[in-house]
Amino acid sequence: MKRICYVAVALVASTLNAIAHAEIDARAIAFNCRNCHTESSLDSKSSIPSLKDLSAQRIRQALLDFKYDKKPATLMPRLAKGYSDAELAAVAEYLSRN
Amino acid sequence: MAGLSRRRFLQGVAGFGAGVLSGCGGLPLRSGGKAHVVVVGGGFGGATAAKYLRLLDANIQVTLIEPKAKYITCPGSNWLFAGLTSLDQLTVDYQALQYRYGVKLLVDRVSSLDPARRSLRTLGGQSLSYDRLILSPGIDFRWDAIAGYDQAATEQFPHAWQAGLQTLLLARQLQAMPDGGVVLIAVPADPYRCPPGPYERASMMAYWLKQRKPRSKILILDAKRSFSKQTLFEAGWTKHYGYGTANSLIEWHSLADNPLLELNKQSRVLTSEFGDQFSGDVLNIIPPQTAAQIALQHGLTDSTAWCPVRPLTGQSLFDDFIHVIGDAAHYAPIPKSAFAANSEAKACALAVTSLINQTPIPEAHWLNTCYSLIAPEHGISVAGVYKLDAANAIMPVKGAGGVSAGTDGEAVALEADYTRAVYRSLMVDTFG
Ligand SMILES: Cc1cc2nc3c(=O)[nH]c(=O)nc-3n(C[C@H](O)[C@H](O)[C@H](O)COP(=O)(O)OP(=O)(O)OC[C@H]3O[C@@H](n4cnc5c(N)ncnc54)[C@H](O)[C@@H]3O)c2cc1C
Repeated sequence: MKRICYVAVALVASTLNAIAHAEIDARAIAFNCRNCHTESSLDSKSSIPSLKDLSAQRIRQALLDFKYDKKPATLMPRLAKGYSDAELAAVAEYLSRN
Repeated sequence: MAGLSRRRFLQGVAGFGAGVLSGCGGLPLRSGGKAHVVVVGGGFGGATAAKYLRLLDANIQVTLIEPKAKYITCPGSNWLFAGLTSLDQLTVDYQALQYRYGVKLLVDRVSSLDPARRSLRTLGGQSLSYDRLILSPGIDFRWDAIAGYDQAATEQFPHAWQAGLQTLLLARQLQAMPDGGVVLIAVPADPYRCPPGPYERASMMAYWLKQRKPRSKILILDAKRSFSKQTLFEAGWTKHYGYGTANSLIEWHSLADNPLLELNKQSRVLTSEFGDQFSGDVLNIIPPQTAAQIALQHGLTDSTAWCPVRPLTGQSLFDDFIHVIGDAAHYAPIPKSAFAANSEAKACALAVTSLINQTPIPEAHWLNTCYSLIAPEHGISVAGVYKLDAANAIMPVKGAGGVSAGTDGEAVALEADYTRAVYRSLMVDTFG
């Protein structure tokens, strides 16, 4: 628990630094992840990875790897390039909690 | 941090900078205390809006008005022509919205709006007042575009552009056609519902014909010069259906300068402006479209026959208390898709809850991904990430989005798998 708290605070802090005055409401972006990454028991055989139980750190790293073409995939590299690193961090934080 | 509630944490994040202030703050709520939002249309836009409004703020009462107790999805309906699905599998009800999220469902049709009183009436004789109205009523057809192709003609020449009996009718006609027969698909100019839809339909029909009636032909008569994911579709057609050869199952012809003007029902002949005549054993005519009647009828459309909106909130340019989302609204360059309607609904729900609670409206983000099947194991996609530019117009984010990168067998098989998985997840996110 402690470790997670630390990561969350650090993330929020770095987010703050990176975006100065811009506003990031993670929901506005993260809701759009749920089109595909729904956490539904109805669809346990889905080929779309569940985000359940993933830490903010892991989601954030995956998003950054997609964005900077370090992790190949059919769709996510095209989407992750649409957001700033700070936005991706905020989304990762949101998704790890909801 | 861990002790903070989810809501407070989010407000904290949202509060970093100066937000956009609500334009209509300060007006008293009509229902004294609890705000009432009425959502018209239980398709992808309306169902998502109703659900997310309740998720965002359980203090808001949400009534969803939809004439059909069950909804049949257009997404996935082309797969029926390949024998890959059934109408049953494409049907969903509103139980989860009602019982899981507390949305009040009214199975009825809105017959008229009274914007001055912020109320509406239904065909069933009910009168409802609202604090905010969200319209996601979908499309209607321009029956004057091709002379002779009117509503009655759809019984003989289905458009199948609203899923249901029309889809079944078209599938039956395809099945009844002789081997060596011709299917004609007439495609309208932009903008219309689901830009890649006609080409996915041709693909799915070709897949079925290839096995059952391989001497047949599908003729696409297109009012456009080019089409969505054209390179990917044509590569797939070449691979699976002999595209470009004399025996191709699919032919595509642009009639951009020579539009189809008339249908003779008796002779089954379509005539173009220059007098070219086209006929077939199956005529699938997809007419040009407009926003649904309810929007046209109340002056919520402009000269394009679609509803102009302020994208940040989805508010109609003609009425601050009416929001329009989905196919009926003009969100270009975002295409008219179920995925986009779902995304527009979420941005709208965030804006509506902010307006009601008089909190800053968050920056809007939209996403679209349109998958199409060319064959059961061959999927392709186009994606777009959108936000507002400095002039508050929607723009695709540079460097993001675009069509499928991988075209080898493994990549297209993966995308075929994702096509089906994304359909299921979109259904859960919207209706479940
Ligand atoms: C063949 C085909 C394939 C497609 N495939 C895909 C796909 O793979 N992926 C994708 O993202 N999109 C796809 N689409 C597009 C998708 O179907 C639409 O973009 C989507 O349905 C738009 O949602 P909507 O809420 O705007 O309208 P709709 O889903 O049409 O919902 C509108 C609802 O409003 C109701 N309504 C209308 N008037 C009233 C009234 N007066 N009172 C009350 N209710 C009213 C209607 O009954 C209807 O249920 C496809 C479309 C077609 C035709």
